[in-house]
Amino acid sequence: MFAKILNVIDKILTFFEDWTLFISVMVALVALFFNVVLRYGFHYTLAWSEELVREVIIYTTFIGCTVAVRNRSTIKIDALVQLVPSLKIPLSYFSNVVTLIFASMMFYYGWKMAAMQVMTNQKTIIMEIPLVYLYAILPLMGATMFIRTIQVMYQDFQQNRNARPVEK
Amino acid sequence: MESSHGIILLILLGCMAAYVPVFMCLFFTAVLGFVFFTDLPLLLLAQTLFRSLDNFALVVVLFFILCGNIMTAGSIVEKLIKVANALVSWLPGGLGMAGVLACGLFGAISGSTVATVVALGGFMIPALLENGYPRKYTLGVMTTSPNLGVIIPPSIGMILYSMISNVSLEGLFLTGFVPGILIMLVTCVYTYFYFRNDQQIIRTPIPSSRELLAILKEGFWSLMLPVIIFGGIFSGAFTANEAAVVACVYAFIVELFIHRSMKLSQVKKVTVSSAVTSATLLIIVAGATCFGRLLTLENIPGKITEAVLTAIQSPWTFLLVMNLLLLVVGMFMDIISATMILGPVFLPMLAAFNVDPIHFGLILTVNLAIGYCTPPMGVSLYITGAIADKDLIYVSKAVLPFVAIQIGVLMVMTYMPSVVLWLPRVMGFIQ
Repeated sequence: MFAKILNVIDKILTFFEDWTLFISVMVALVALFFNVVLRYGFHYTLAWSEELVREVIIYTTFIGCTVAVRNRSTIKIDALVQLVPSLKIPLSYFSNVVTLIFASMMFYYGWKMAAMQVMTNQKTIIMEIPLVYLYAILPLMGATMFIRTIQVMYQDFQQNRNARPVEK
Repeated sequence: MESSHGIILLILLGCMAAYVPVFMCLFFTAVLGFVFFTDLPLLLLAQTLFRSLDNFALVVVLFFILCGNIMTAGSIVEKLIKVANALVSWLPGGLGMAGVLACGLFGAISGSTVATVVALGGFMIPALLENGYPRKYTLGVMTTSPNLGVIIPPSIGMILYSMISNVSLEGLFLTGFVPGILIMLVTCVYTYFYFRNDQQIIRTPIPSSRELLAILKEGFWSLMLPVIIFGGIFSGAFTANEAAVVACVYAFIVELFIHRSMKLSQVKKVTVSSAVTSATLLIIVAGATCFGRLLTLENIPGKITEAVLTAIQSPWTFLLVMNLLLLVVGMFMDIISATMILGPVFLPMLAAFNVDPIHFGLILTVNLAIGYCTPPMGVSLYITGAIADKDLIYVSKAVLPFVAIQIGVLMVMTYMPSVVLWLPRVMGFIQ
């Protein structure tokens, strides 16, 4: 039952993450490319392109990070684990618990910051996007990263129980 | 150093050893430091984490990674290897040289070593073995040459260093060419003498000019990519950002419409995986900024600088100590984390020893790159070991002569700064 729920959530999140990443990177690429073309062809620059790209960087980094948690591709230092392979299982659990704490902190402080933006009603300078939409990515990332970590821990748990060699 | 600073260092190292993602190690060290040593609210750190990504210069990381991934998914890499092959494979040990040359060419477009090992090792290791090259040489050369990917620009480590030190990125890029080409050259000469009298390996005949022309024609679109990137940046036509964007668009067009080696459906996959790779790097930048906040608040770089200045007098010793330290750090830590953590600590010392920040940026990058394949802990050793199904000790022995070559070049460029600084000087990027 638990596995089933995780599976459904996984599909929904993956869909959402993949498309957001794809669309935002493409939008940034196209905007910057047009900026180059316009600058050379028509001596004209798009003032909003730089701001847009900065927002894309923020979004893709935080969303990409939760995907990296799911894929287990966050950058870690594995010297100790390589030297003493038997430590891998306990250390993986430890690192997952740390990730859960991080995710909760991001949710809590992100929520606070987003709420602050609503109160002060701040907007970005050129495109006048309310900052709350930008800051909302933090609690969103906190929540998805939390789910992703639970998912990874569940996979680890299943694997260790079946005593198969831990895949890398 | 006060005991409190020792504790900060221990927490950081402990977290890192405990398999916790690097950016979280940095973030939590900053959190603990804030809680114990200051009265500042933690909200400030969360704010820093968010704000540090609000930086236009970071986009160049994303697009150079995307560009490298497009090339690997399509056939640009394959074509670059073919060109390298045609140019040198008729020499004794030529296929080995072709491997080195291909790494250099690939390095001139992409940033990361680990990616290069996987991309090129997959092609070159089986090819070398089939042609009778000894396993030891094959693994040695294909483990160490991917370092060229980091040393030859565009290099992500250099991009981030220029961001934290405010040196000219174009100038820093230009310093990378001389050591890169030197390493390629010396490795090729070593290969030549290694195989000069060897009858075991299969030697290909010298290609006729018609064959050579055909291969160059086939590889033309791939070879144009570095031309666009560097021609654009160094002629002043593009900024580094624009060059990365144009290179991506170019690579997409070539792979989709000219080589037709990539389907439209693959575009999404490549884009998403590049975004994730870039996210894993950029979040370290964000974590390191939080950690840097704590360092500045406690004035740790200043205190370390004082301690170093009392212990070391001559620039000569300073550079030697730096080299040794960075080599060891490079074994354990990836180049992005190491640059972001150590850069701010070392930068304040440079003026006292009269070391040019651009020169130091190059020393940092080359050292950390060599650290990737330095026995016994370098990451690349494990990767090639896994590709070829050999243990760590075997690979460690195999890389020794090649690591020695690279360290030799490193020493030359450390103690003769003019060797690497003349190029940016001539091009007018530094005084």
